[in-house]
Amino acid sequence: MTLVLDQRRPASRALALARKVNVAVIVFLVLYLAIGLLQPTYFEPAGLMNFLRRAAPLAILSAGQLFVLASGGFDLSVGSLITLTVIGGSMLTANDPSRTWWAIAALYGVGLAVGLINGAVVAFLKTPSIIATLGTLLSVNGAAMMWSGGAPRGYLPDNFRMFGRLVLHDVPIVKIFPIAIAVLAVCGALAYWGFHGAVFGRRILAVGDNPRAAELSGVRVRSVRIGVFVISALAAVTAGIMLGGFGGVSVDVGLGLELQSIAACVVGGVQLMGGRGSVTGAIAGALTLFALFTLLTLLGLPQPLKETAQGLILIAAVALGAWRRRRAV
Amino acid sequence: MAPATLALEMIEISKSFPGVRALDGVSFDCARGEVHALCGENGAGKSTLIKILGGVYRPDAGRMRLDGREVAFSHPVAARRAGVSIIHQELSLLPERSVAENIYLGVEPTRFGALDRAKMRNGAAGLLRRLGSTIAPDIRAGDLSIAQQQIVEIAKALAVEARILVMDEPTAALDDVDASRLLELVRRLSGEGVSIIYVSHRMPEIQAVSHRVTVLKDGRSALTAAIGDAPVGRLVRAMVGRDLADFYPARAAAPAGPAVLNIRDASNSRLRGVNLALCAGEILGVAGLEGSGKRSLAQAIFGDEPFESGAIEILGERRAPPSPRAAIELGIGCLSDDRKREGLLLQQSVRDNAMLTQRAFANPLRPPNASPMSLDETDALLRKLDVRAASFDQEIRLLSGGNQQKAIIARWLARAPEILIFCEPTRGVDVATKAAIYKIMRDLAASGRAILMISSDLPEVIGVSDRILVMREGAIAGELPGGASEEDVMAIAVGHAAETPALVS
Repeated sequence: MTLVLDQRRPASRALALARKVNVAVIVFLVLYLAIGLLQPTYFEPAGLMNFLRRAAPLAILSAGQLFVLASGGFDLSVGSLITLTVIGGSMLTANDPSRTWWAIAALYGVGLAVGLINGAVVAFLKTPSIIATLGTLLSVNGAAMMWSGGAPRGYLPDNFRMFGRLVLHDVPIVKIFPIAIAVLAVCGALAYWGFHGAVFGRRILAVGDNPRAAELSGVRVRSVRIGVFVISALAAVTAGIMLGGFGGVSVDVGLGLELQSIAACVVGGVQLMGGRGSVTGAIAGALTLFALFTLLTLLGLPQPLKETAQGLILIAAVALGAWRRRRAV
Repeated sequence: MAPATLALEMIEISKSFPGVRALDGVSFDCARGEVHALCGENGAGKSTLIKILGGVYRPDAGRMRLDGREVAFSHPVAARRAGVSIIHQELSLLPERSVAENIYLGVEPTRFGALDRAKMRNGAAGLLRRLGSTIAPDIRAGDLSIAQQQIVEIAKALAVEARILVMDEPTAALDDVDASRLLELVRRLSGEGVSIIYVSHRMPEIQAVSHRVTVLKDGRSALTAAIGDAPVGRLVRAMVGRDLADFYPARAAAPAGPAVLNIRDASNSRLRGVNLALCAGEILGVAGLEGSGKRSLAQAIFGDEPFESGAIEILGERRAPPSPRAAIELGIGCLSDDRKREGLLLQQSVRDNAMLTQRAFANPLRPPNASPMSLDETDALLRKLDVRAASFDQEIRLLSGGNQQKAIIARWLARAPEILIFCEPTRGVDVATKAAIYKIMRDLAASGRAILMISSDLPEVIGVSDRILVMREGAIAGELPGGASEEDVMAIAVGHAAETPALVS
């Protein structure tokens, strides 16, 4: 195919290159331009940095969800795991900053356990992941409720909240630099390495494309399935720690985030039935989604209209992606 | 036979895809009640022509007439309404629905707006009777054998009163008995006035069933002739542009080496008392009808459905591999007979497909294109096997069947296994690639590998193997030398011959 393209006129070569760029990147740029026109502060470095800071948890969550989707599964439990992380963080630290570090370690331990359970149920009991993780969603939510006694008390210590909230000032060029962006950069790089830079990523795509063929070629399909759920759960704990820094402790921090992360991946060109996706796409999809939320808020639409508009725009983005893929063949 | 009314005329059809001119001014016609065979290598343009006829693709140029009327299909449904039905190689029945429901899918008879089940059942039974079949309309389609599913597919076409029926390699998955029954059915339908476009790689079938034959080569029509004027030699020449004198490579000159696989009295739920020895340097063919257990034998050796009893010795190890992974670790490779379901990662690149097994055993944290086999080595292997693709980065689903098969063979060769099981190695593969695959197998044997070939294609088993095992009812019913006659193999396969003692090693 490349051979033929090279013989074409430069204009169509540029077009072919444009077609290779992830559609989510283009949609994001258009949306961000619209946001900036409405509210010029978004064009300033500080505005952009703040936008990225607030979008970072969804972007990390989507990068984790990508691993599960690419393997042909769904992880619906991440939203409730975020809630559990925030509530658990407040219970474990009990307002004592010296307990922050072991609390964070314990939360990652909880995430690891949830991921292992999800993965084991899917791999060994052959339960469809959409059902298995729906079960985990309910149990984890229940656990969070019980732990907090129904009404979450307490606050998160400042050193716990730093990951979401701390902003370095007087940084050259960008002026301010939120720690959240550094966390996003590290997580994004790790995800990129795991998905595109290591054999593991290719195994995930193989399992998502054709698990039977993968197994007959010697791939340990069960290990891959368990691995992707662990990755997704650890991403959820990370997102939860950051979200804990944004606002207060409540029982609905993670509400709906599982669907948002799936939507972000789909906008980013990840295929829901597995076998196709990229980290760039997942993160660009999350930024697009977040830009959309921001834009609709800036437009001052009433909440119900906002949600309707969100849905319609999502469908349009997905349809556009599918159309481009058909054209590409 | 060429009656006056042409049921179908396709005139000067052209179609291009990015980088490929798939069809270049191809004309094709079919008279009422005529069986017109269509053949050519993979990639010659057969599928494109059929997809244009079926409304899947629109031609870039050219016209189509049905019964003299100009038509242009915008959608497969439009083609179906106009009386064109296509039975694809991969059957498309809904396994959980009944036979009757499948036959009337999309054209369900209704009574006062409600589904008329009685009419549907009776209609289905009537259609199946017309096809000389006794399949009950109420059973689940998934419970049918491949041959029966094929008959249901034909009934489905007749339910919409198809006047033009395209059959794409209908016998590819059938054994000889079912295949000859299907050919009988083709003759019967043709007698009823249905025009049949019969796509196949199998020369004897084409000779037996068709009135005319058209050969496509590189997107052009290379030959259209009455079947009496087109002996096999002429067809093959038209297809590949040369004679295939050495179609089957010469057998091993050296005697076979030591046994690398020894199976004694091994059984599982589908196999009973299997004894066999496979030696380094030989190609051991396994023949048998569908359901004879030849497929189960491959699955058992490869650890997919392992033996439950018996003594198994593989490359000096006295244990039966419990999983395909374990079998691969022992040094076995297995090319599946169901390329699409068990072999291909359709959306991944040719390279990713070829590297799959190597990556399954690599350190998961290492770079994907460096270990244990580099990109260059993979490309070299793909080139050595003459896998033809615009680029090895191309998704494998865009390749022809023959090239897909060679890419999967590359996947196994990358690990250099001592024992290679080839299941139906040339199913759905064109003549030239067939010869290439036979040569690959023979070269592997000559380099000291042991090859077990499971095949339903009798000329292939006889032409390629050094020894032939014939299976029946889950057991090995007899052994014949390479080059035995088809009659001898069939006699053992159907149980007419006295059982020869099973191989004792």
